Amino acid sequence: MKSVPFSVASRLVGDAAVIYPKGYLNNLSGESLVTECGIYIGKGITKIVVNFSETDLINSIGISLLLQIIEDLKNIQGTICCTNMSKFLRDTFETLGLIQYMVVFPVESDALQYLKAGKA
Amino acid sequence: MPSNAIPAEDFLNREPELHYLKSLSELKEKALGGNVFLEGARGMGKTELLKQLHRVLFREDHVAPFYYSFKTANLKGTYFAKDYFTRFVRQYISFQKKDSSIADHAAEPLERLMPAISSLGLYWLIDGIEDFQGHVNNNDFYWQLVAAISAPVVAAQKSGKPVIVMLDDFDAAEHLYESSLGDAHGLISLFGESMQNRLCPHVITGSAGALEAIFTDHSLLGMTERMRLGPLPEDLAAALFRTHLANLKITCAPDVRLTFLTLLRGNPLYIRNLAKAASKMQKKELTEKDLVECYGFEVSEGETAFYWSSVFNRYVQNPTKRKAMVKLLMHAIENGEMEDRGRLSRVSGLCEAETAAILDAMEASGFIRDKNAVFQDFVSALYMKEIEGRKPSDVREKIEAKYLSESEESCFELVIPMSSNAELVVAKAVEQIGINMNLDSEFLKYLQLALIEVCINAIEHSGSYEKQVFLKFITRPNKIKIIIENSGRPFSLDSLMELPVEEKLRMGMKRGWGFKLVHSIMDSVKVERVNDRTRVIMTKEIKDKEVHP
Repeated sequence: MKSVPFSVASRLVGDAAVIYPKGYLNNLSGESLVTECGIYIGKGITKIVVNFSETDLINSIGISLLLQIIEDLKNIQGTICCTNMSKFLRDTFETLGLIQYMVVFPVESDALQYLKAGKA
Repeated sequence: MPSNAIPAEDFLNREPELHYLKSLSELKEKALGGNVFLEGARGMGKTELLKQLHRVLFREDHVAPFYYSFKTANLKGTYFAKDYFTRFVRQYISFQKKDSSIADHAAEPLERLMPAISSLGLYWLIDGIEDFQGHVNNNDFYWQLVAAISAPVVAAQKSGKPVIVMLDDFDAAEHLYESSLGDAHGLISLFGESMQNRLCPHVITGSAGALEAIFTDHSLLGMTERMRLGPLPEDLAAALFRTHLANLKITCAPDVRLTFLTLLRGNPLYIRNLAKAASKMQKKELTEKDLVECYGFEVSEGETAFYWSSVFNRYVQNPTKRKAMVKLLMHAIENGEMEDRGRLSRVSGLCEAETAAILDAMEASGFIRDKNAVFQDFVSALYMKEIEGRKPSDVREKIEAKYLSESEESCFELVIPMSSNAELVVAKAVEQIGINMNLDSEFLKYLQLALIEVCINAIEHSGSYEKQVFLKFITRPNKIKIIIENSGRPFSLDSLMELPVEEKLRMGMKRGWGFKLVHSIMDSVKVERVNDRTRVIMTKEIKDKEVHP
């Protein structure tokens, strides 16, 4: 477990936004993740990639906020791709039945390729 | 009695107490001391201290010792009076003549002692014996008791030589009766006058719970100081154990460190009994494993078990009620404490009034306060035998297995405030515990998540004024057990709604995942309510693949 404070970075790649949550994803950090995604959705972006490579731990409140993003994208017929998930994170999403609402890729480039190809 | 005291050189670490008690008569004469209530857990050596005091005083000539045990006394007033009076006379003559056999010949009538008393010139004692006999002949219950109880005072006043009166298990005197149990409350207060006498300091032992009530008796109030008899320090406990073994011609294997003895908490009775168990089990060279084996025998079938059974019988004689008491004690051990009495009657299987009576007896006896491991193992063994009907060999094996695996057990405790990100401190702690156990880092993430969920549940929903979460981690090579406790609003697993994610999305419910995750991660999750606290107990078996080689 790395003792890093949570932060969210992002970048725009073509018509997709890539989000990098870093650290412990809980209520406070989850809110900033929702805000960050909300900014892109507000600008008309419907494709979001969340790269979890730097996400250390997560809790159920953080998960519920992720569900908020899923819901927001669902309302605009958008797509959420999740990449670089640890086995732990993937298992957790699977346990809760969330995995069916996201497209999962091992790495970010695969997700971007998928979105670029317009399969979403 | 009390010539069966252990050799003085084997009586360890009680010199200051013995010295103080020896000087008690001098202190009382100068109004610097009074009576002493010897306090300490059962088996801590209170009776033995009295015996040693008796022996020291007996050998000298300044203070006459008188020892009386209520443990085996007949509490019917007239029997008690005769027994108490006769024993005093015997012990007094024995002391004067420096002949311990006189005190030991309990069957010899007092009349036979008359020549000895005359030869000592104790004519006042002859008068006293005749007076006492007169009360017996007149069937005068009250004066028989008064004459018996005041005999040491009379002796001290007539001779000018103080008498130290040692009353072992004195709380039983509260149950003195005239013709049927409970018909004459308060006879114990007849000791008040004797206790006030400046020439007669009293040293008392007994259950603190029961004596609490006795010392609030007006006549006895404020005359007694407490002396606490603590456990033997670890090194002395080991030394005493080795001495007992040597006397029994048993040696310790070269690598034996006797660490298991710490379980006995420096209790001389347990230490002696364990050594004797080794002898009974024909051990010649004791290993650590032998110690555990002897202990299993001792708490289930040995002298320690017999000792505690006798104590139980003293407080609850009826077999059905005794079984109920065992159930209640087992419940208290498993849950850490007792809840409200209404719920406990379901545990005991008796009605509320009967359960309340047993709980009162347990309170008076101090059983609930006795939180030592030996007592708890005795109760567990008894429970397995009497309630579960297990065979003695199975019971022994269970107890042994507990300690053979517990030797590799570690325990950590942590208290966190109910504040933002405090659960991360717990996550960090479990990570380090996992590293100590060589656990796989990915596996640890699951444990961290389960813990985080339980902690945030407590922080968010308990409404606790205490604003703290108490955590305990108990680890063994193949298992981790985590106990999380907090005060505040009750919480139960039954109250949780299990909804599929589609339903949650449809209803706009995004929360309520926590315990689903906890259940999926841990092997067992139990939620209990103990008084005003919610306790979550989670366990996880550790498989080989989750440990680094």
